[in-house]
Order: sequence, then structure tokens, then C-alpha cells
Amino acid sequence: MEDYKFLFKVVLIGNAGVGKTCLVRRFTQGLFPPGQGATIGVDFMIKTVEIEGEKIKLQIWDTAGQERFRSITQSYYRSAHALILVYDISSQPTFDCLPDWLREIEQYASCKVLRVLVGNKTDREDRELPTHVGEEFAHRHNMYFIETSAKEADNVEKLFIEIAKELTQDSKVGDLSPQDVSNVPLPPTRETRSEFPCCSRWMSSSSSAT
Amino acid sequence: MPIGCCGCCSAFRPRYKRLVDNIFPPIPEDGLVKANMDKLMWYAMNSPDKLDRIGEYLAYRLYRDINRRKTGYVIISMDALDQLLVSCHANNLNLFVESFLQMVQKLLESTEPTLQLRATQSFEKFANIREDTPSYHRRYDFLVSKFSSMCYSNDDCPDTSRQLRTAGIRGLQGVVRKTDWDNLGESIWLPTHMEKIVPSLLYNMQGNTAYMEVPTQLADSTDNHHNQSGEGEKEPHVLAEMCLRELVSRATYGKIHTVVKPLLIHLDHEGLWVNDTFAVQIFKILMHSIQAQYSITIIELIMAHLNEKSIEPPQVRTGIADVLSNVIPIAAGECIGPSVIEIINSLLEHIRSSVVGRSGVGVTKDEAEAVYQDTLIHALGEYANHLPDYQKVDSMVFILNKVPGSDRVDEGGVARPEAEVKLQHLLLKSLLKVGTKYTTEQYSKTFSQSFLVRLMRLSVSGDAEVRLTVQHILHTLLDRHGNVHKLSTPTLEVTKLGLTLGKQVRQDVNFWKKCGNDILLSVQENCELTKNTLANIEALYVTLMLLLAEIRSDDVIVDILRVLFHIQGVAQSGGVGGASGIWLHVVVAAVMMVVSLLVPTLKDHITEVIKNRSDKSPHLLPQLQPQYDSSLSSASIPENLIFDNAKVLDLLSGTSLDEKRLTASVSSMKRRHSTSQHSNSAMDINTISVDVDSACSSPGLPRRPLEEEITFESLKKVLSESPEQRRRAEVEEEQRRQVTQAFLTDPFETVVARIQPDALHAKLAEIFSRLPPPPPVTSASTTTTTPPTSCDSAAAMIVSPPTKYQLPYPDIFIY
Repeated sequence: MEDYKFLFKVVLIGNAGVGKTCLVRRFTQGLFPPGQGATIGVDFMIKTVEIEGEKIKLQIWDTAGQERFRSITQSYYRSAHALILVYDISSQPTFDCLPDWLREIEQYASCKVLRVLVGNKTDREDRELPTHVGEEFAHRHNMYFIETSAKEADNVEKLFIEIAKELTQDSKVGDLSPQDVSNVPLPPTRETRSEFPCCSRWMSSSSSAT
Repeated sequence: MPIGCCGCCSAFRPRYKRLVDNIFPPIPEDGLVKANMDKLMWYAMNSPDKLDRIGEYLAYRLYRDINRRKTGYVIISMDALDQLLVSCHANNLNLFVESFLQMVQKLLESTEPTLQLRATQSFEKFANIREDTPSYHRRYDFLVSKFSSMCYSNDDCPDTSRQLRTAGIRGLQGVVRKTDWDNLGESIWLPTHMEKIVPSLLYNMQGNTAYMEVPTQLADSTDNHHNQSGEGEKEPHVLAEMCLRELVSRATYGKIHTVVKPLLIHLDHEGLWVNDTFAVQIFKILMHSIQAQYSITIIELIMAHLNEKSIEPPQVRTGIADVLSNVIPIAAGECIGPSVIEIINSLLEHIRSSVVGRSGVGVTKDEAEAVYQDTLIHALGEYANHLPDYQKVDSMVFILNKVPGSDRVDEGGVARPEAEVKLQHLLLKSLLKVGTKYTTEQYSKTFSQSFLVRLMRLSVSGDAEVRLTVQHILHTLLDRHGNVHKLSTPTLEVTKLGLTLGKQVRQDVNFWKKCGNDILLSVQENCELTKNTLANIEALYVTLMLLLAEIRSDDVIVDILRVLFHIQGVAQSGGVGGASGIWLHVVVAAVMMVVSLLVPTLKDHITEVIKNRSDKSPHLLPQLQPQYDSSLSSASIPENLIFDNAKVLDLLSGTSLDEKRLTASVSSMKRRHSTSQHSNSAMDINTISVDVDSACSSPGLPRRPLEEEITFESLKKVLSESPEQRRRAEVEEEQRRQVTQAFLTDPFETVVARIQPDALHAKLAEIFSRLPPPPPVTSASTTTTTPPTSCDSAAAMIVSPPTKYQLPYPDIFIY
């Protein structure tokens, strides 16, 4: 029998071509598919991770970045426990769109959703966005921040593990049985989040990694 | 759990586990072991309490096989599950279903397409089982999410991709079926589900050539889809369409918006409103599938969407309006009561905001805006077309009331704002559209008093285009026998037109009595206007012809003759110059020709004039020319070329036609509706000569003329009345008439002057009444002394008070 303690839904969003699918592939299958085509609609992956000896199942929904699929992708935000907002550190436009994405999140996602900002493609030479710009943005909007490289497998594992940890912690605070968590689309109230500076914790670890 | 540690142990394991283990062959390719499967089923059916355990154990084996990537065994497990599911009784499935759904989910979570497909198949079978008491804590949100994402499958192998998409759609269909049956469980109608399901279905439909076809063919093709439903593999778009239809047909009133909202949003995102028939087709599918009583809700939702899109480029709005015009007829049959007016009002509001809000923007934008307005008008027309006739009348009145300028007389000269002019044109166009769809049966029902009054007021507008449209509206409403298209331009060869004449109906005659003059007056005034275009004149000709053809009454002929002579007079006197004047002559000639056919006694005179004209000045006969030689004049035509009023009058006196109507002035004709010569009776109070324009609007005057009917009672009265009585009545009548006449015609001062003595009279009477009564003795003595005369004096007394009081009576009556 499959036994997992918690099940969380993680949804990746962000402009087209920032590397959402590659992040998911790297994490779930451990490979970097070169020449990955644009995602159509929504893709789905599953991965079970172990946090403090407990099995945590992550349902990862990888959405299409293209505007035309917005009607379907939006519908997936609503039930997400965590939203990963990805931009490309070598592309200013993908960063400029972040406020629009935040507006989408405000509109369609639960207000209690865990929000993580990810600057992807740290392997690229032509960086346009220094780390601190992303950090500041994340801080301003009360998000977690991390920089990753799907190609080099940098911080990818860490990203998802941290999310799983965070969500597990919140679930435990809410003291919910696993059955309930997998059913209730939203994690319990997360007043605790502001108490510990996860944001800085993640940032320091990410900067040390790069 | 200690399973399968060694062969000898198996004897000590529970029986259900042994039975389950036995169905798996040593080599997965061999497939399910049939005989052992039968045993398992037999066992499960006989001891249903073990079914849950079997499910649990199968699930356990399945998870293990998936993890070990033994796909063959996985498939076998699913086969076994399917068989158990179908053959076991539905009411004790609940726990078993839990493990079943877990297995389906597990398979769907794998990245292997074959497993996903297998899971969908099983789920479909399960969806078709009706459970008596389904568990109400079952959750389908993962299935909806996963099946939706499968609908977007983009596998490298096109075949796999197609299969996965098909599976996704089937899965969604299954979820919809399953959850719709069970009312206790999760509602599939939650927006969060619909927002996934609807776009996924649409995604598989859009871009398909099936929806690019012309609408008429679609109906056939959709029928074909239904015919094919028995066959195996279907294209994703066919399946998606079926699923959408099923979904919509299950939707109840409160749930429609959760289906339509995501649909509208999807069309917005994909930009499918512009230059695409897809939106139209989708909504047609919706309208045809939805439970008929709710179809109006869809219209309302589209309307609301149009409201939200008011700042979008006109192309998008045109697209939405186009959808509206295409689907509105489908809903119209269901539409009753206030919602009719609501929809019309909303459409008119959109037209108004399009005109008012955006006048004076760039040219290209204006063009697009005009397309949008036309589409809206088209939608309105389509809508009206499918309303029952009695509602069409209501809606026409409603539209007319919305037309700016219909509530007052248009001065013509005053410059109006551009937007208002445009709006007037557009709304009249809408009215015309509705009118075209309406089939008149009885004029009295079509032309209510207020409707006709407003229409006639607009008919004499200073704007030639408005006048033309109003005439067109009149044509379409008057025409009951399909004559309009035969009458395009004046001609002498009336017989060749093949007009269908109406029958003489009493209601028509009554209508004519009531409203005929309003219409003719408007025609007459139209002819007097100087800025008429050729089209205007032609339209007036058609109006006259239609009246002749439709209302078969002698009065109509005479009234029209009167108008013709008036028009001729206008042209002859040079009141209307240039080409317009000549046009008027031509119209007169053409209509005269028809009259000559209807009234044989006039034939000689009319043909003579026409012959003279064709000899000497053919320009006075049809065809109409847009331009005439400047030397040709319409005024002062020689006597023998014009129709002679006196002669016609003479000729008519020998017929049944009432030639006196011919000479009657328009103003007095206006209110005189009696056919008999008893018009100088009490009803003369209505024959007030008032100004032409104010006649239409004066509120103080009774609009409905008193019609003098010859009834049995009235005839009896005539016979029974003695000549004496009648004479006296006539005298009274005469006096009354004089008074009325005086009040109607005399200036106010004289009226006041005439009242004055009466005041005096009243005062005197008052004074007299205060005086002590004369001693009764005298009167008694007179009666006693002169008995023979008493009778006379008594008679005189009886007679004199009435005469005395009769005089002031009419004045009081007037006041």
C-alpha cells in the first residue's frame, strides 16, 4: 500500500520559456531535456520526497506560459498549496512581467498559498538580473526566493524540498491528518510564516550555492 | 505483510489472497487466468464482505507492480478490477470503490501513456455504473485536474497524443456523469472544476475544420456525429463536442453560468471572437443542447459579457454581437414576458452607447463600429423574427418609443447633434428590421394609435433618409400580400405587375376610418417637401399603391384621388420645383392609372390625359428619371395634360363612390368619419378644424371619433318619431349646431361677449327668485276664472320653460 503522510499540490507559473518544465523534469526525472518544446495546457508530474523520515507526495502541475492557455492554467492556481513563480535571470522582460503574475495570483489563487519566486538559468553567462534585484522583489511581496539552474541541477532539489518542508510544517501546526490535507485544497492558516525569516534563510543558502 | 515468502506458506494465507494471486499468470503476456478469475468472482459474489479486502489486496499488488515497472501485471490487475466492479452488486461497492479509485489515480500519476489510457478505460466503466448509495466523501478533484491536463496532451507521437486526449475527454465525461448522478457528493458544477473542464473540451474542438464549415452544413455534420456514436474510435473534437453537449444538457438553471463563464473567458483568451465562426458554432451547440427553458440565460450571459467588453476594440464586440445574432433566434421561442423588452432594451442600449460613446473617432474605427452596429441590428431583427406576432407589435412600439424625435414634431431646420441623427437612423433601421419580420394580419392590431402617431410624426421629418425609412416601415407593415417587391418604381403597366389585391374586410374599412387620414396626410405633406430624393418619391408611390391594393374600400379610392389632386396642385403651382415637381406628376399619373382600373367611369378621362401626355410631354409619365432637362417645368402644365378635378367629381357622382369626400378639405376630412350624410349631428363637435400638425398631438380632443352606426334602434326611432317631434328635434339640433359652430369658429372675444348676457340673465333669475312668490290667489283665480284657456296656458307654461332654459343650456354644456 502506498503510504505518504502528506500530499501537496505545487503549481509552476511564469512567462513562456523561463524553464518551468525543465525544473520539473530535473526534479522528478533527474534529466534536462534539451530543446524542450512549449508546454501545451498543463502537465502533471508526481514525486515523493522524504522530510524528517516522513513521506511527502508532491503533485506538480506545470502550466503553459503562453498567454493563450491562461484560461486553463488559471483554473489550476485555485487548488494549489504552493505556487512557484519562475523568471529567467537572463531576460529582463520575464522579470518585468512578475507584477502581472502576482495580480493573477491575487485574483485566482488562495490568499494563503505559499509563494516562491525562482530565478532560473543561473548557468547562463548573460545574466541581466542581479540576485539582489530578485531578492528585493521577493521581499517586497512577501515571497520566498531562490535562484536555480535546471541545466546544472543547481538548487532544484533544494527548491522542492524546502517547499515540502514548509508545507509539512504548516500542516503540522494546523494538526491535520494526512487524509484531510490531501483533500482540503488549501494548507491551514500560515500565521507562523512571518515569525521565522525563511526568506532570508533561503536567500543566504542560495547565494552561498552560486 | 508476509506474502509469497514461499509456496508452502500459501496454504495458510487467507483464501481471498490465494484467489487473487491465482489470477496472475506466471508470464504477464498470457493475460488473466480465466478459470481462476471466475473462481475469484464466484467467491466475491458469495461473500461480498470480502470484496473490500480483495480490492485492498489488488491495490497493494498494483502499487508493487507499478513500482517494479511490471506493466503487464498492472494491466491484469485492472482487468480483474473491472470484472469485479461490473459483476458485483452495486450496493456493497463503496469501500471497494475507494481502492479502485486509488488505483486509477495511481495509474494516472504514472508517466506511462499506456497506464493512463488503461486507467481511463476502467474509470469510464465505473462511471457508467449507477450506485444506489455512493459514498459522499469521494473526491474527484484530482481526476478532473488530471483528465483536463490529458486533454492537452502533446506527446511526441501524434497517435499517442490523440489517444491521451481522447482518454482525457472520456474521463471528464465519466466524472461529469458520475458526479451528476450523485447529489450528495462533490458537485462537478463548482467553478473550480468547470474552469478546467470547459476550456479543455473547447481546446480540442477549436481549430478543427468541422467548425469552419458554413452553419447549414454543421447541422448535418453534428447529426452524423450522433449517428456514429455507436462506432469505436472517435476524433477528439467529436468526443469533446459530445461531452460538452452532455454537460450543458445536464446543467440546471443555477449552474449554467459556471459553464458559460469559463467558455466566454476561454474565447477571450484565445481571441476566438474575431474572424472566426468557432464561437458561433459553440454557442449554437450550447443552445441546442441546453434544456430549452434555460436558453434565455445564455443570451443574458452573452449580453453581460458584451457589457464587460465595452472598451474592447469593435471587432471583438462585433464578434460577440455576431454570436448573439446567430443564437438569439434559438432562444426567442422560449422568451416571454418582460425578458423580451429587457433584451431589446439591452440591444438598443448597446447601439446607443456605440453611437454616442464613440462618435468622432478615427475613420477606420468608425467603420468597424458601423459593422458592430449593423450586427446588433441584425441580432435584433433575428430576435424579433422568432417572437410571436403579438410580441412583435409590443417590441415595435417599444423601439419606436426609443427613437429620438418620435415624441415631438421634427422641425427639420434645427441642427441636431450628429449622434442623435445617427441613432435615429439606426433605431429606425432596427424598427424596419423588426417590421420586416412581422406579418400583418389586422391593421388595427399592427398600428396602435400611439404607434401610428409617432410613426407619422417621424414620417414628416426634415431628414430625407428618415422619411424614406419610415415609408419603408410603413410598406412592410401595410403589405399583406407580398406586393412590395413588385412595386419598385412608378409604371403605367399596372396589370403586368401582377399585384395581389386584398379582400374587402370590415376591419380594414374601420381602420381606414380611424387612421386613413393620418397616413394620407403624411403622404401629402411628404410630397410638399422640397428636399425629396427619387427614392423618397418612389416610396410614396409604393405607399399609395399598397393602400389601394390592401384596403378595398371605395373611400380609400376617393381619398387617394383627393390626395392626388392635391399633389398635382402642388406641382402645378410650382410649390415644388425642378425634378421633384415632375416626379410628383409622374406619380400622380401612375396612381391615376390604377384608379382608372378600379373605377371604370374614370377610365376615359384618365386615359385621355395620359395619351395627351405621352404625345406632348412624355416626361410627365413613368419612368422616373433622376434628372430632367432644365427646360422642362412641372408648373403650369397645359390644361389638357392634367387631371381635371371637376371632371372627376362629375364622373363620380354617377357612381356609388362618395364624390363629396373629394371636395372636402383635408382638415375637415380629418375628423369626419361618418359615411352617412347625418354628419351635422351631435358628433359635429368633433369636426373641429384644427391645425394639421397639432391635430395629431392635441390631447384635449377625443381621438376616437364617434361613429354613427345605423342600428336597429336608430331605425326604429326614426319610424316611431312623429314628424312633429322630429322637426323639433331638428330645430334643437340646429340651435345646438349653431352654438357649437360659434364656439369653434368665432374668436374668443365674441364668445365672451355672448356669454355676458347670460350672466346677467342668471343674476336676474336669482333676484327674481328672492322676491316673494306671487299671491297664489291670483293664479288660482286665473285658473278658475278662465278654465277653457288653462289648458293652453298650461301648455304654454310647459313649453315655455324649456325654451327659456334651452337657450343657456348649450353654453353650460360647452363649459
